[in-house]
Amino acid sequence: MNKKKKIKASTVVIYVFLSLMLVLYLAPLVWIGLTSFKSRPEIYKAPFGWPTAFHFENYAMAWKAGRLGIAMMNSLFVCVITLILTMVIGSMAAFAIARMRWKLAGAAMVYILIGMMIPVHCVLIPLFVRFAKIGLSNNLWGLILPYLTFSLPTCVFIMAGFFRSIPNELLESACMDGCSIFQMFFKICFPLARTGLFVTGLMTFIGNWNELLLALVFVSDDTKKTLPVALTKFVTPYQTNYDKMFPAIMIAIIPTIVVYCMFSNQIVDGLTTGAVKG
Amino acid sequence: MDKLLRNKKVIFIFVAPALILFTLVLFIPIGTSFYYALCNYDKATRSYHFIGLGNFTKLAKDPTMRIALKNSLFFLFFSCISQLVMGLLLAALLTNITKGRNLFKNVIYLPCVLSSAALGLLWAFLFHAKVGINNLLLQIGIKGPGWLFETKGFITLPMWVIAFVALWQYVGQSMMLYMAQISGISKSLYEASYIDGASKTKAFRYITLPLVKPMIGTAMSLNAIGSLKFFDLIYAMLGDKTENLKMDVLATYLYRTGFSSKGGNHYGKASAIGVVLVVLCLLATWIINKLFKTENYEM
Repeated sequence: MNKKKKIKASTVVIYVFLSLMLVLYLAPLVWIGLTSFKSRPEIYKAPFGWPTAFHFENYAMAWKAGRLGIAMMNSLFVCVITLILTMVIGSMAAFAIARMRWKLAGAAMVYILIGMMIPVHCVLIPLFVRFAKIGLSNNLWGLILPYLTFSLPTCVFIMAGFFRSIPNELLESACMDGCSIFQMFFKICFPLARTGLFVTGLMTFIGNWNELLLALVFVSDDTKKTLPVALTKFVTPYQTNYDKMFPAIMIAIIPTIVVYCMFSNQIVDGLTTGAVKG
Repeated sequence: MDKLLRNKKVIFIFVAPALILFTLVLFIPIGTSFYYALCNYDKATRSYHFIGLGNFTKLAKDPTMRIALKNSLFFLFFSCISQLVMGLLLAALLTNITKGRNLFKNVIYLPCVLSSAALGLLWAFLFHAKVGINNLLLQIGIKGPGWLFETKGFITLPMWVIAFVALWQYVGQSMMLYMAQISGISKSLYEASYIDGASKTKAFRYITLPLVKPMIGTAMSLNAIGSLKFFDLIYAMLGDKTENLKMDVLATYLYRTGFSSKGGNHYGKASAIGVVLVVLCLLATWIINKLFKTENYEM
């Protein structure tokens, strides 16, 4: 056999095409990074050139003008609490559905999975009206509740898959050694399903971090806005402060990009397993 | 062991929080939403009067609703078809190469995890009438169109622009799903076909495509629901200008009718739009599942 590698024309074409795609995906992000350092006249004059001087103060201005510090804290607060609650409530429900023996387990699963198909928009108005009555509008907890509910189906779904894959013998031997059901869950199954938890956690966090519609509707107080809402405030009907907007965009997407770079393989695998099993 | 797992009390403790949340935050509001859709909301007294199908007949005559419906359906078809073609193409190419597969995959998937609001602002600048891409075009002597501010045509130019931006952002998702399915196909099938003299394109047509078909159904229903829900990107790119530009989609129209400072607080009408949205979602999922229902092949 001829071991020498022949470079086929088709392979070259594929690589050229994919490299073009790479440019199409990376160029806007690189460009925004560069533009965020430009002064305002320069943005209008030479939007695509290399910045003549790096104006780091743009970031400080954007941070102050957009109140991004508060927005960031609000986003963190909402997302972290939602994350923790989703993990705990979701995996408990998943464990009961996947491993415990009761007649209505299947029905409970279907009930929860219906939530995957229903768009948030349809419960927007009733929730808004109800929350206004019980003092949850303009309150970060009013965001956490719906976020939590809409994050649960995916979590339950993926975690149920992980719990099912735990071998029966393991649980039986634990049971022999006098393990209670709570110990079985918290000491054995929970740690074993770490990968699943990690994946659902990341997905929940990213999804809620980016959510705009609910945050826009439920919170009107400036001090309680989340990051995506704060971003849209940079565009007003009369003018847009591009020199502040671009740094703000960077501030909003850099954390996600960092997390994505660290865990991209897990995120990607997790998203696919979630959908494939459906 | 069996006794342990049949403990009713424990089951209740484990499942109750999730089920209670679902009932309170999802299912009761859905019911309420359907009821509100049949009511007229009186702002002054904050009360609801039952008016039957009045909101729906009003919507049927509403020109903005027609535009929103048209735009949403355009998004639906465009994203289903374009994501299928681009997603499959990218997946097929990526599974055929070995070097750099992860790099390409991760980069193309990246925009899916980024905030649509942020990316929308970025693209809005790039498609700005004076700066952005037009500035670049001007340097080579072409006067670019007004991109986001053209209002001519049945499907206006901004619609196309935003549809392509949405494709750019979300095609990674479809690509991932197809890749997962394609890499699950056994290599021996391909080897057998090559021995029988099949070319790569033939192998794709007669092996890959039929075996990917079940995934097309899944990916396409996800796309369909996603494109009907479409809100973030269009809101970030156009803000409150959607009405003047005739660029409303169902979600933005719902938002404006229910909550914007100008249109404000027509909860009944907005709920009716919500009902239309849900019905469309269910209908689209049902049709797609009918179209792509196949027996699962042994792989």
